[in-house]
Amino acid sequence: MADFFEEYAGYPNYEKAAIHDEAHGKPVRKKLWMVFWIMLGVTLFELYLGSSVEMGELNKEYVFIFFTLVKAFFIVWIFMHLGDEKRALKYVIIAPYTLFIFYLAFMAITEGVYSHYVTGVGDPLFIMKAVLH
Amino acid sequence: MSNQAATLPPLRKDWDGGVSPLGISYGKMFMWFFLVSDALTFSSLLCAYGFMRHKFTGAWAHPNEVFSHFPFWKGDHPLAYVGFMTFDLIMSSVTMVLAVEAGHRLNRKQVAIWLFLTIIGGFIFVGSQCWEWYHFITGEETLQVYRDYWMNGKHIIEPHFQGANLVVNAYTQLPTFGDFFFCITGFHGFHVFSGVIINIIMFIMVVNGVMDRRGHYEMIEKAGLYWHFVDLVWVFVFTFFYLL
Repeated sequence: MADFFEEYAGYPNYEKAAIHDEAHGKPVRKKLWMVFWIMLGVTLFELYLGSSVEMGELNKEYVFIFFTLVKAFFIVWIFMHLGDEKRALKYVIIAPYTLFIFYLAFMAITEGVYSHYVTGVGDPLFIMKAVLH
Repeated sequence: MSNQAATLPPLRKDWDGGVSPLGISYGKMFMWFFLVSDALTFSSLLCAYGFMRHKFTGAWAHPNEVFSHFPFWKGDHPLAYVGFMTFDLIMSSVTMVLAVEAGHRLNRKQVAIWLFLTIIGGFIFVGSQCWEWYHFITGEETLQVYRDYWMNGKHIIEPHFQGANLVVNAYTQLPTFGDFFFCITGFHGFHVFSGVIINIIMFIMVVNGVMDRRGHYEMIEKAGLYWHFVDLVWVFVFTFFYLL
């Protein structure tokens, strides 16, 4: 396919678009290491929270999901270089996925909570009966 | 970027044809599309997990009690080993992105070194997951907990099963917990394994100078996209299985 396109005169060589020299590479590397330290700090904080700190179940959940989204942003935007891409590509990658998954997660959680209250399956005895049955 | 301005033709709009509207090469674009579809698969699995988790609120296992073992280190260490695994995967993600950066400078030696370190990190992660699975399935008594009971007039003392597999589960009555754990971490572990294989192929190609003959290191970038995606999935698996 690449050969097919290269037959057109003036088709840009996107494979070589990101090539840069040593002077340009230095700040890039500095940024990458900084992102690494941020992510390591966030992960250690999460582990500390998860293993020792007693918080309300709901508060903890929100804190963890927030930090997860922060880490996911850093991975996609910096490590996968989506931040350096064109705006059209950003939308193509992010928009359909976000729309679909927020909807799916909303449905799954809502239905889960609903069936918990309707069937009363939070009761361990109920589960034991269901398993043994 | 300075070189980009020199290679791209001026005075041409994105959708006029003759250029890529998304500004990337064919291969990289389809790596992104593949990753989006793969992300949808993982998200669906995690949403199903969320459904079950909320349905069985109160009866679900507590991660602090489940993930408290460390190889060659007896005792109760909540989340220590999974913390190590996360650190390993983030570290290998950084070495991968440094390999990509070295590829942008067409520096073959540095690309090979960083890729090699990435492969090592991947093997450590896969090995850790093997240990974790083995530990769960066999239910080794790392905590040295014994249970004693009377049966047919005899006093029986036997090591308490400290694992979780598809048949027995020491932490909760729910078989769903083990099903989801092995399904999702297994699916992710298989992705890590295939990522390591891809990285090994890339390493061999780099060392043999295939990328130098092509004049660019974009294959490293595509392999890097896959590897970072594996790390991204682990971030979510880590949160939803081990922390919440």
